[in-house]
Amino acid sequence: MEEKFEPKIAAFVCNWCTYTGADLAGTSRLKQEANARLIRVPCTGRIDPVFIIKAFENGADGVLISGCHPGDCHYNAGNFHARRRWILFKNLLDFIGIDSSRLYFSWVSASEGKKWVDIVDGVIDAVRAKGPFKQYKKMNKEIEIPVAAEEGVSVK
Amino acid sequence: MKIGVFVCHCGENIGRTVNCPEVSKACASFPGVVHSEDYKYMCSDPGQNLIKQAIREKHLDAVVVGSCSPHMHEKTFRKACASAGINSYMVEIANLREHCSWIHEDINQATKKAIDLMRFAVERVKFNQPLETIKVPVTKRSLVIGGGISGIQAALDIANAGFEVVLVEKEPSIGGHMSQLSETFPTLDCSQCILTPRMVEVYQHPKIKLLSYSEVEHVEGFIGNFKVTIRRKAKSVKEELCTGCGLCAEKCPIKKKALSEFDEGLSNRPAIYVPFPQAVPNVPVIDRSVCTYFKTGKCEMCKKVCGREAIDFTQQDTFVTEDVGSIIVATGYKLYSIDKKPEDSIYKGYGEYGYGKFKNVINGLQFERIASASGPTSGEMLRPSDKTVPKKIVFIQCVGSRDESKGFSYCSKICCMYTAKHAMLYKHKVHDGEAYVFYMDIRSGGKNYEEFVRRAIEEDHVNYIRGRVSRIYEEDGKLIVKGEDTIAGLPVVIEADLVVLATAMIAQQEAPKLAQTLNISYDKYGYFQEAHPKLRPVETNTGGVFLAGACHSPRDIPESVAMGSAAAAKSLVLFGADMLEREPIIAKVDATTCAGCFYCQKVCAYNAIEKKEIRDRLGNLQKVVAFVNSGLCQGCGTCNATCPSKSIELIGFKDDQIFAQINAFAEV
Amino acid sequence: MNELKQICKDALSEKKARFIIGYKEDKNKRIKPFIAKTPEDAEQLTFNHHAVNNLAVYLPRFKNNVEGKIGIVVKSCDLKAVTALIQENQIKRDDLFIIGVNCSGVVLDIAKEFNKDNTQIKCKYCQAKTPPYYDALADESKDFEMPDDDQAELMAKIDKMTSDERLEFWNAEFEKCIKCYACRQVCPMCYCEKCIVEKSEPQWIDTSSTARGNFSWNIIRAFHMAGRCIGCHECERACPMGIPLTLLTRKMGMVASSEFGYRHGMSLTEPTLIGTYSTSDKEDFIK
Repeated sequence: MEEKFEPKIAAFVCNWCTYTGADLAGTSRLKQEANARLIRVPCTGRIDPVFIIKAFENGADGVLISGCHPGDCHYNAGNFHARRRWILFKNLLDFIGIDSSRLYFSWVSASEGKKWVDIVDGVIDAVRAKGPFKQYKKMNKEIEIPVAAEEGVSVK
Repeated sequence: MKIGVFVCHCGENIGRTVNCPEVSKACASFPGVVHSEDYKYMCSDPGQNLIKQAIREKHLDAVVVGSCSPHMHEKTFRKACASAGINSYMVEIANLREHCSWIHEDINQATKKAIDLMRFAVERVKFNQPLETIKVPVTKRSLVIGGGISGIQAALDIANAGFEVVLVEKEPSIGGHMSQLSETFPTLDCSQCILTPRMVEVYQHPKIKLLSYSEVEHVEGFIGNFKVTIRRKAKSVKEELCTGCGLCAEKCPIKKKALSEFDEGLSNRPAIYVPFPQAVPNVPVIDRSVCTYFKTGKCEMCKKVCGREAIDFTQQDTFVTEDVGSIIVATGYKLYSIDKKPEDSIYKGYGEYGYGKFKNVINGLQFERIASASGPTSGEMLRPSDKTVPKKIVFIQCVGSRDESKGFSYCSKICCMYTAKHAMLYKHKVHDGEAYVFYMDIRSGGKNYEEFVRRAIEEDHVNYIRGRVSRIYEEDGKLIVKGEDTIAGLPVVIEADLVVLATAMIAQQEAPKLAQTLNISYDKYGYFQEAHPKLRPVETNTGGVFLAGACHSPRDIPESVAMGSAAAAKSLVLFGADMLEREPIIAKVDATTCAGCFYCQKVCAYNAIEKKEIRDRLGNLQKVVAFVNSGLCQGCGTCNATCPSKSIELIGFKDDQIFAQINAFAEV
Repeated sequence: MNELKQICKDALSEKKARFIIGYKEDKNKRIKPFIAKTPEDAEQLTFNHHAVNNLAVYLPRFKNNVEGKIGIVVKSCDLKAVTALIQENQIKRDDLFIIGVNCSGVVLDIAKEFNKDNTQIKCKYCQAKTPPYYDALADESKDFEMPDDDQAELMAKIDKMTSDERLEFWNAEFEKCIKCYACRQVCPMCYCEKCIVEKSEPQWIDTSSTARGNFSWNIIRAFHMAGRCIGCHECERACPMGIPLTLLTRKMGMVASSEFGYRHGMSLTEPTLIGTYSTSDKEDFIK
């Protein structure tokens, strides 16, 4: 029997709001699914859209990006610049064929532990329903270098 | 690179749902890891010693700790590693508690995730660089914005500690609202009597530079190193020549046209005036909007009578710049304008109380002026309309406060106390008078506050009625106050001679603009936002900018004074060191690849990106590139993400560090 | 024709420009870029339907110019690139003597005559035959009826596809890419000294011509052009593999226009799209 598909979610979160909100979810012992891996950046302004591409290249089935609510940015305007970039990038990916069922955005403040759990679980469920990102995995496969067959050769 | 991995059980907090020995075992096989162990409490002394010992014995270059959130113990582990000889930025934390053990139940899933998180951290730390904290010099000088009691206190404290202070006040005199008050609760001592000596002390203090009738125009720089541009509004009087004799104001033919701001519009003042006799500085200003000379080009009476030739009609606004290390914002409050709906305001106002329509409906500050010996009635209790003694007086609390539909949802905090005081002052002056207070709740938290309110009720027989007033209208020179007594469950009608509204304290109208100038946040009401509601109540999110008094939220006098002193203490902490230490998480430009498009400059919220010319040995311009002012950069990394050629990178969150984590995702 | 020559001759003899970047016809009757340094050189300058190149691509190399003004012959589409370069600090307006030409369309295939079937895509939806600003203007326009904007029809077709179909469509296109970077070299807005694709520590984009590397390169190139592309279509013209690159850049331009009401390169005073923000930028996609 085929193993049940478990999506891999890469989440880029800002240090001050969402990461802290996720901390709060932990402190409050709010249970959530274990498919997401968080990568902490100082601010959503730091998130280059290429990070999203890189995440897909490394096997992510979905990407979630989250930061401070507009007006709450620890760095005043990082999230405003980020939001503008996202609008452009999201439209571009959409036109290329990576639609919003793979890419998610949210604002989660340091006090919104519950919201964070709902967002994460929601994204995991949605991507699980969508299935693995086959097209990208196919592209990834193409470049895999066959590992040397001989024993004792370590590829470090 | 030799990496040491340490997995903490956090008692059972992590250990219960994450198989820590297995995580430690898995980490041992990661490329680069030469040491891996787990322990019950990594943050404890024995735990830290394990790390230190491993660093020494195995000559580790970097350390990864799997523990609680980095917000919790990153500093602890960095310090421990530094003491064992590793640069503290060669330490990475994997959050195995808040982001793993506490939120998952399945031990297999949680352990797998923990291993992934450890892998991310191990891969990332390989790209970490040893960093040194940044040291910036401190200008040991302070700017205080606002010369009310809070600002005065802050300025005096700093100056008395031996540091220079620039005190900026937008009005012609310092003193603020406290100078308008008659007596203060709960002691009923005279406000001016306790304030005036402080004002004089400010004026005479050799360390305080007082810039009255001035406003902050522009602020550049960062903690320890602000450059502030201040607009000195034209007084039309040469301050250095004026002796404050007052002859100009006495002879000014304009007597009736201008309402006295100090008397809250209950009296008139001349076109050239000092706000009140004890003003500091005692230098008049000309109100050009009413002055005959400025309107018609004729008169010049003040100029003629001034023996010192201090009048200068040609004076212009001037600008001065001041270098300061800290800024204290003490801009105070104003009262909710209840007579009409403020323009562009979402608040409805209290038109039904007739403020602005009926002369005998006044606000709290106006009552203070009537009760004050220096006020328009010289302290006699006379109502504005016909200057008779009001025999029945009604006070209404919470006008605009605690009422989201008509005003503000917050409590203005001081009204319960000052209304009790007003009622008492009234009863002390009008022995046969009747005083009524409409209240929602009596909030009298504070030393001797509750006792004070009880005194008003029990000794001075003020009638407290729990309930709201629905309407006020005028009939035969009386104000008919219609309300409800919710305890008795009966409607109440009082024929009053005077009604005093305890209107909400609100933020200054210009507060959001000032907040933007200072780069600090403000809440939806326009009150400035503290850095942390519990632990950093006088600091803002901008380093070196502190808050004092009612510009932060409604405050009474002792609280404003305490906050002024607290803000001063925060400034003095800053001045305690010659150099400031900052996290080295700042952007850095690779000048060899920078194409000089300056998108980084456009996205920088801190003006930290400068232009730098690269010249060859003969001095010919090669190119213009971006350059990061390390004092201004706050480390958000927006420039890094924006730069098309990745010629600017955020140290500590460099692309290779983040990529290492993303690449590690392949093995998830 | 004489008008352009005369303007350039005058500009050079009156020292309004120290040289002029323009077009000339070579021995094989091909139009190519040419730099006229003397009034005599200016005799050779010409402009016609075959003047396809966007000459603004040469400007960034003069960004530290100290000697005198640089003359440049621009169509209205090229002028947008000049505007954008000024906004991005790659050239100073004061260093330029801009000779605008009224243009009525250029060819798609330079080996063939200009006609309805041989017209650049951009000309089919061009809205400004006359450059919005200039220091001198030469009128070279001729009446010509533009064929239909077939690219817009294709874009609408792609928009209607499912996301998987779109991905398939683009994978098939990107598969052709040989990573020659001609699209980048010819682009006036790609003036970076070191392109992101050349960054190796860390490596942002697989440099090998694999499906994954091609995909990343083309997405990132398109994103770097978002809000910056001025629509000269030089990338697509230069692409030896015939990838419809302008579908992407034009799409981004349309997004900029529909989401932000922004058109790049139209005004020197309008702030750039990237590097600014509005607190009311759309966020219905953010939870």
